[in-house]
Amino acid sequence: MPGVTIKDLAKRYGDVGAVQGLSLTVEPGELVALLGPSGCGKTTTLRLVAGFLTPEGGEIWVGERCLSSSAGVVPPERRRMAMIFQSYALWPHMTVAQNVAYGLRFKRGLGRADREARVHEMLRVVQLGGYEGRYPGELSGGQQQRVAVARALVVEPEILLLDEPLSNLDANLREEMRFEIRRLHEEFAITTLYVTHDQAEAMVISDRIAVIEHGRVAQVGTADDVFLRPRTRFVAEFIGKTNLIEGVAESSDTLVCGRLRLRVGGGLVPGAAAAVSVRPHDIALAPAGGAPADALRGTVTRVSFLGDSVDYQVAVADSDVVLRVETPVGRRFRAGEAVALTIAPGVCVALGAEEGA
Amino acid sequence: MPRAGLDRALPVWVIAALVLVFLMALPLVWLAWLSVSSEGGATLANYRAVVADVALRRALWNTLVLAFWVGLASVAVGAPLAWLTARTDLPGKGLLRALVLASFVTPPFLGAFAWVMLAGPNAGLLNTLWRSWTGSEHALVNIFTMPGLVFVVTTYTFPYVYIMVVNTLALIASDLEEAAAILGAGRLTVALTVTLPMVLPALMSGFILAVLQALALFGSPAILALPAGFHTITTQIWSFFQYPPKVEQAAAFSLPLLLATALLLLVQKRVLGRRGYAAVGGKGGQRRPIALGAWRWPALAACGLVMACSIVLPYGILAKAALSRAWAQPLTWSNLTLANFTFTFVDYGATQAAIVNTLELGVATACVGAALVAVLAYVSNRRLVIGHQVVGFLALAPIVIPGVVLAVALFIAYTRPPFVLYGTLAILFVAYLTKEMPTGYAQSDATFRGIPADLEDAGRILGAGRLRILRDVTAPLARSGIIAAWCFIFIGVIRELSASIILFTPATKVMSVVIFDLKEEGQFGAIAVLGLTMLALTFGTVAIMQGLLGRDVLGARH
Amino acid sequence: MRPLSLLLAALLSLAGVAAAADDPRLVEAARKEGKVVWYTSLALPTAEKVAKQFEAAYPGVKVEVNRTGSERILQRVMQELGANIKNVDVIHTSDAGHFVLLKDKKLLMKYTPAGVEKFPAGFKDKDGYYYGLRATVNAIAYNTKAVSAADAPKTWKDLLDPRWKGKMVTAHPGYSGVIATHVLALVNLLGWDYFKQLAGNQLMIVQSANDPSGVVASGERPVAVDGGEYTFYQIKKKGNPVEIVYPKEGVPLVISPQAIMSFAPHPNAARLFSDFTFGRELQQLMADSEGLYTGHPDVKYPADKPKLSDLKLLNVDPEELLKRNEEIKKRFVEFFGA
Repeated sequence: MPGVTIKDLAKRYGDVGAVQGLSLTVEPGELVALLGPSGCGKTTTLRLVAGFLTPEGGEIWVGERCLSSSAGVVPPERRRMAMIFQSYALWPHMTVAQNVAYGLRFKRGLGRADREARVHEMLRVVQLGGYEGRYPGELSGGQQQRVAVARALVVEPEILLLDEPLSNLDANLREEMRFEIRRLHEEFAITTLYVTHDQAEAMVISDRIAVIEHGRVAQVGTADDVFLRPRTRFVAEFIGKTNLIEGVAESSDTLVCGRLRLRVGGGLVPGAAAAVSVRPHDIALAPAGGAPADALRGTVTRVSFLGDSVDYQVAVADSDVVLRVETPVGRRFRAGEAVALTIAPGVCVALGAEEGA
Repeated sequence: MPRAGLDRALPVWVIAALVLVFLMALPLVWLAWLSVSSEGGATLANYRAVVADVALRRALWNTLVLAFWVGLASVAVGAPLAWLTARTDLPGKGLLRALVLASFVTPPFLGAFAWVMLAGPNAGLLNTLWRSWTGSEHALVNIFTMPGLVFVVTTYTFPYVYIMVVNTLALIASDLEEAAAILGAGRLTVALTVTLPMVLPALMSGFILAVLQALALFGSPAILALPAGFHTITTQIWSFFQYPPKVEQAAAFSLPLLLATALLLLVQKRVLGRRGYAAVGGKGGQRRPIALGAWRWPALAACGLVMACSIVLPYGILAKAALSRAWAQPLTWSNLTLANFTFTFVDYGATQAAIVNTLELGVATACVGAALVAVLAYVSNRRLVIGHQVVGFLALAPIVIPGVVLAVALFIAYTRPPFVLYGTLAILFVAYLTKEMPTGYAQSDATFRGIPADLEDAGRILGAGRLRILRDVTAPLARSGIIAAWCFIFIGVIRELSASIILFTPATKVMSVVIFDLKEEGQFGAIAVLGLTMLALTFGTVAIMQGLLGRDVLGARH
Repeated sequence: MRPLSLLLAALLSLAGVAAAADDPRLVEAARKEGKVVWYTSLALPTAEKVAKQFEAAYPGVKVEVNRTGSERILQRVMQELGANIKNVDVIHTSDAGHFVLLKDKKLLMKYTPAGVEKFPAGFKDKDGYYYGLRATVNAIAYNTKAVSAADAPKTWKDLLDPRWKGKMVTAHPGYSGVIATHVLALVNLLGWDYFKQLAGNQLMIVQSANDPSGVVASGERPVAVDGGEYTFYQIKKKGNPVEIVYPKEGVPLVISPQAIMSFAPHPNAARLFSDFTFGRELQQLMADSEGLYTGHPDVKYPADKPKLSDLKLLNVDPEELLKRNEEIKKRFVEFFGA
C-alpha cells in the first residue's frame, strides 16, 4: 500500500494560478482531507493527482512511481486509482451491477464468475444487496452514493480520491454517510485524498487535514492541530469561529493592543506586530461587580440565544476591540450590561504572518 | 519520470479539426482571391464593376428591402403566435405547434412554387375564386411583386422568431407577470410592460435570423422575383454563371453578402450575450396559462389563417396539381390523372437519377457530417486539442455563408487543380457538409454538454482508455443526440437548392435542381409530384427524429 | 400521352424498319458504349419521347436526356469543359450561334447523318459540322376565353398598346435560344426601341420558350408575346383555349441545330443517335405529335398548321446571333429588369 507525495505542484488556468507550489505527503493507508473554500485549488489538486490534468510544475509520486510532472503524465487509466465524484457520475445506461463491475473489466486474470462474486460482495458491503438490476435513475441520492462508493472500492485501488462526495446529500444523510465512509476506510485502509469544504466533515472523516489556501497548503495536521493550534489567520478563521486580536508583542508571551494585554502561551517576537486567535467558547464572562480591579472589562452589545449556548458580542472597555463570546446556557447577561472577561493564557494562540500576505 | 503518455486518440481529434479548417479555408481563400484577380494581376476592377452597375445596385437594394420586411413581418407573425401557444389557454396549441414545425421544415422554394398557383394574379386559385365571388375584374393579390415575395418568404421564415420567443417565454415564470397583475396592470399592460421587455432580446435575435434567411434565399426570389422583373443578390450571383461566365464578378458580389451576414450574426450574439437568457434566468415557478376570454376564438382564427397560408393552402394546391391534368382547372373526374406520377417517376429519366443522387448525398453527408460534428463537438467540449475554442467557432462559421456564396467559392476552389471535384457528386457533398455543419454541430454540442465529463473521467480512472470510454460510455449516451444531428443534416441536404443550382452538372442533378429545372419549363404537375415526394421524405425523417428525442424539433419537450 | 403504348407501338413498327437500314457495325459499337448523353433544349416530354423511341429501336443503348434552356446548355458545356469534364455526346440547342462558337473552338465532330443532304440550305452547316434537327417560328398566342378574336393583337406592334398592360408574358433570351433568336430578328426588324416600349407594358417573365403556352392556357396572362409556335400548337390541340397569331410583319424562324461533340465519350452511339433523329420516322414524329417543322423534304405536316412557305419568315444569321449574344441578354435585362 503506497502513499502519495506531492511536490511543489503548480497548475494555471489562463492567468489564474489554481495550484501554486502545493506540497503534501499522504502516508500509506492514511486518509487526508483537502479542506478549503471554493476556488482554493483543492479540486484541481485532486484532478492533478488523478491524472486528468497536466501540471505546469512539480511532481506527483505514488510510492516509487512518479505519475505526473510537467514533462508528462501517466494517463488516469494506468494509475491504479479510483475516484468518487460529487455528481457520483454513475452511468445512466448501465445497471447498478454493470456500473460496479465496469472497472473489473480492466483487471487481468479475473474471470466472469470472479467479477460477479466481487460485485455481489461489494454491493453487500455498501448495503445494496438485491439492487443489482436497477438503473441509477431508479435509486435515491443516498443509494446512488453507495453505488459510487462500491464502484470505486471494488477495483481495490491503491489510491482512492473523493471529490466532495457528500455535498449533494441532505443534512441527515450526510452525517450518516460521514461515519459510513470512515467505517469503510477503516475496513479497507486505502490511501485516500478527500476533498471537502465542510470542516466538520473533514474532522470526522480524516486522519489529517490539509487546509488549502490560494493553491497552497496553509497547514497540515490532525483535527486537533488545525483547530486548537492554527498557524495562520486563514486557518484560524476558516476552521471554526474565532476572535482575531492584533497588536504588538511586548514579550514572547504578552500581546498589547491598546489598553488590552493578553497573555499568550508563547511564540511571539518581542517588539513585532502580531495577532492571536481566541475561540469564543474559551472566554468566560462574569458580572462586573465581583471582579478583581485588574480584570478585563467590557459591555455586552448583543445577545443571541442559540439553544445549547449563548452568543455574546462584547465591547472591551477602553479599546476598540469587540469580542465574540460563547457561553453555556446558565447565567445570562443582557445587552448593555457591564461584564468581566476571563481569557486563560493557554487559549490564546499566536498566529504566524500570512504567507504571501 | 513518467513517459509523456501520448494520447493514442489524439490523431483522431487533430484530423477532424484539420478537415474542418480545410473545408472552410480553401473555398473562402479562393473566393477572396478571385474577387481581386484579373489577367493582369491583383485588381479592384471586379468590385468597381459591381458597384458601377446600376442593375447590380438595384439587386442589392431589392435584397435589403426584402430582408428587412421579412424580418419585421416574421416578428409580427412569429412573436404573437409564440405567446399565444406558450402562455395562453388558446385551444389546439398542440396542433399549432405541429404546423409551425411543418412550415419550418418545408423547403421555401416549394412554398413559393405553391403560391404561384395560389396567387398568380390571373390564374391563381385565390384570385379565380375572388373573381367568381365578387365579379371583380381585378386580382385580389399578385404574388409576383415585392410584397408578394415578402409574404411568401415570411410564411416559411417566421418559425425562426417563433422558436426563439417560445423558448424564452418558457423560462419566464408566471410570478413575474402575476406580480405586475397584482399591482393592477391589465393583461395587455402586463404583456407590454413585463413580458415584452423580457423577450426583447429573443425578438431581436429572431429578427436577425429571419433577415439572414431572407438574405441567403435563392429559390423563392428566383420563382417570384424573376417573373416580376427584378433580381436579388442571390439570383444575380446565379446569373453571373450564364455564358460567358463572370465568376470574378460573382466573387466580388458575394463578399458583401458574406460580410453582411457575418455582421448580423455578430450583432445577434451581442444581443443574446448581453441580456439574453441570462437576464431571464432560472427555471421559474409554475406557469399558469393566461385566460384569453372572449379573445380565444379571434386569436385562434388568426393562427388558423397563418397556418392556412403556410401549410394548408400550399400543400393542398400541390396535391391538386399532382393529381390533375391542368392545375388551373377544377379537379373534376376528367381532370383527374396519375399521369404526372408516371411521367415523373417512369418517363422522365432525370428524376430517378436525381432521387438516387439526392438520397445518396443525403445519407452520405448525414453519416459523415454527424460523425464529424460529433467528434468536433466532443473535441471542443472536452478541450482535447489546443485551440479547441477555434474548433467550435469554425464549425459554426458556415452559418454566415449564404448557400449561393458557398457555391461560388466551392465552384472556384474545386474546378481547378489540385482538387477538381466539379462534375462529381463529391463537390455537392462538400457543399452540403459545409453548409449543414452548423446545424449539426449545434445539436451535437448540446448533446455533449448534456453528458458531464465526470461520466467519462469516472471510467478512465477505473482503467478505461479514452477511446474505450468513448465506446462504452459516451457513444451510448450521445446516441440519440447524434441521430438527431444526422436527421437535421439529412433534411437540410434533401431540400438544398441555393448551392446545388450552381454546383450541379447534368450528370449530378439532385431533386431540388430538377424541380427548379421543371419550374423553368412550366411543368407544374411534375414539380408537384416531386415536391410532395420531398415533403414525404422530410416528414418521415422528422417523425423518426421526434421518436428518438422525445421532443419536437423546435426544442420544446413534450 | 400514354408512354407505355407509344413505346409498344414503336417496338412493333419502327424498330424493324430503322434497324434494317443501319450499318450493323455502328450499331454494335454503339451497343458496346451502352449510352448516349444528349443535352437538348427540345421540350422535355418530346425529348423523353425521342429517347424512348431510340431505346426501343436500339435496345442496349440508353439515352441520357438532359433538357434545359439553350443558353443554359451552352453554359453547362462550357463550365464542364473548364473543369475538364467530358460528359456530353450530342448537343442540340435553338441558338444557332452556339454552333458557330463551338465549331470555331473545334469542339464539334464532323459528321453527316444519313439523309441530311436533301435538307434545304438553312438546315445545313456548309462545313458539315451541324444540321438543323427541327424548326419553329415565334408567334403571338392568346387565351380565347379572355380575349376575343376581334380584339386579339394582330401584329408585333399591336402588343405595344397600353391596353395589354399587365396581361402579357414573355420568355427569356438568357435562357432560351428560341427567344434569343426571336429578339434578334425583331431588333433587326423594329429596333431595340420596340422592346423598350414593350417592357413598359409590365410583362410577366418566364424562362423557357415552352412556358408561355402554359401561362396563356392557364389564363395567368392572356397574351404571349413570344414562344415556340409548336408549344402553342400542342397546347391548343389538347383542347386548351389558345389561339395562335402569325403577325404580318413576319415571324422569326428558329432552326435548332444538332451536332456531335468532338470529345464525345460515346462517339458511335452519338452517330447512331444522330442518324436516328434525322431519319424520316423521327422527323415525321416531330411534325405530327409536336407540331414542329423540319428540314426533311418527305415530312408531311398536319393540315391545321400553316406551311412554312405560306409564312413571311424572318431569318437570323447564326454568326450575327453569336456576335450579338451578350448585347441581346444585357439589353433585355436592362428593359425588363431580370
